[in-house]
Amino acid sequence: MNLNWLDAFLISGLFFVMMIIGLALLLHLQLGLARIANFGVVGFWGIGMYAFGVLYVKADWPFGDPWAFLVAALFGTLVAGLAGLLVGWIIADLDTDGVLVGTLGFATVVSILATTEQDLTGGALGMGGLNFPYDIGSVKGNEALWLLVLTAVVAVILYYVHRVHRVPYGRLLIGLGDNEPLARSLGKATFRTKLWLFVLSSAGMGLLGSLFAVKERFLAPEHIGIDITIAAMVGLVLGGTSRVWGAVVGVFLAVGLFDIIIQSYLPLPREWYTQGIPVFREMVFGAVLIAVLLFRPSGVLGDMRRDKLMRKMHGE
Amino acid sequence: MSSTRPRIEVEDVAKSFDGRTVVDVESLVLGDYPIEGLIGPNGAGKTTLMRMIMHSTSLDRGVVKLLPEGPGSEPVTLSDLPPSRMAKHGLVKSNQVIMDFEQLTVMDSLLLSVAHPSDERPFHLFAESTVYERERDSISWYLDRFGFEDPLGFARSAGEKKLLDIIRCLLLEPKVLLLDEPTAGLPDDVRDQVMEVIGAKAATGEMAVVIVEHDLDVIWSLCEYVHFMAEGSVVLQGDPEYIRAHATVVEKYLGSEHVGS
Repeated sequence: MNLNWLDAFLISGLFFVMMIIGLALLLHLQLGLARIANFGVVGFWGIGMYAFGVLYVKADWPFGDPWAFLVAALFGTLVAGLAGLLVGWIIADLDTDGVLVGTLGFATVVSILATTEQDLTGGALGMGGLNFPYDIGSVKGNEALWLLVLTAVVAVILYYVHRVHRVPYGRLLIGLGDNEPLARSLGKATFRTKLWLFVLSSAGMGLLGSLFAVKERFLAPEHIGIDITIAAMVGLVLGGTSRVWGAVVGVFLAVGLFDIIIQSYLPLPREWYTQGIPVFREMVFGAVLIAVLLFRPSGVLGDMRRDKLMRKMHGE
Repeated sequence: MSSTRPRIEVEDVAKSFDGRTVVDVESLVLGDYPIEGLIGPNGAGKTTLMRMIMHSTSLDRGVVKLLPEGPGSEPVTLSDLPPSRMAKHGLVKSNQVIMDFEQLTVMDSLLLSVAHPSDERPFHLFAESTVYERERDSISWYLDRFGFEDPLGFARSAGEKKLLDIIRCLLLEPKVLLLDEPTAGLPDDVRDQVMEVIGAKAATGEMAVVIVEHDLDVIWSLCEYVHFMAEGSVVLQGDPEYIRAHATVVEKYLGSEHVGS
């Protein structure tokens, strides 16, 4: 297959954008519906990535890819889900400040463990040995196919989120985020609901982490910095926290603009890319976040419109 | 007196805030009559007692039990359960202050109330029509009776929100319904309609109702039995005539116009 038209930078950029969209969609379930401000997104993503990577590299597999990949990815997903259970159990009854500190703290713990557990993770030096679970002939071809795999996974997440808005489960999440004591008084088990939400969305983040590890083919602590959380958070808030498409629109506008247009297509001096631009990017993201919260808190797409949705679903 | 209707038994419960005792009730049974009133001056502890029964306020001391409907079923110790379990046991309370879901429409709110836990599982991605088809009739019964301006939109006024709160409770088909100042904020005609529906349901024996209310005319006309609270305790119990005949108590706390003739 001739892939000359496809730039390696573009594949990388799109891969990153797609992954952040996936994370922002899962964050939307937590923050946009249930109003749980999870600032530890990268922790769940990272623990999935490392759990996948360590098992994949260290295990003595009796069978080859793609089965080894699938088992390891399932493991990464499960470990992230368990982390979600633990963190969710700790934070489910805390107020916003408590949730912020708890989730941020968890992400820090994951980052520190990745650095200090050298025997497992390779520490600060990182760990190689990962590869695509297939080989279609060229590196670029493999990467392009992996981008398609990720896109399919994110599409499934998007479809799930879309459905959640249209079923009793979504209404329950919105209700408990909106007025938890009232939801409780209607007999809703709010604690258990939040716990399960955390387990499932964290597991999804862990799966995305596993997919990312394959793409990078190398695990290192610098991959799991807070910039991942910030990218997902800024994208979601910019697009519209409570809208299904908020994550997609916002992440394209924020991360897409930076990581694809500016990084790949603007004729800027080379040294800017290593030094100036990453810092500039975080500054702009911070400024965007402040500006959106000040001038359009509900994001580009605006508020959730349950009245429109109800008319569409149950109107005569 | 009926013994088949579920009742609530309050045993020696107390609650104080910052060292000030707000509720200290030795023994109280609610639900012997279809509709009972709980009255008393501001600060008597009525709302706190209600919240303690629902366990949305913790108890410093004492036990609250739900006594079973008929022979063969065990009493449930409500004060050991989290607030989210009350509705399952048939105990539901409406709210004194306006409580609403800002993001949810009137229809959403009612569907949320009637959805079962099994409808609300994370991977039930097509459960909406099941719930809607199952509950449409009972929801429209209330929507037809109480005209909301826009049932598929958001509640428009404080009155609509208050009404919505009560309908949410009724849709749960409670066995014991606690109404905390149901008429505050409702227009007179809506108030009368609400009381008519509640009175009819109570009369069939479907549920026991306990009303906390400042509008004493509602109490005198609707309730068969009245508990009078003052300074955290129940000081007087009896039918409305009996309460109103206690001139000194009634005059001290409620004003002379409520002393029975």
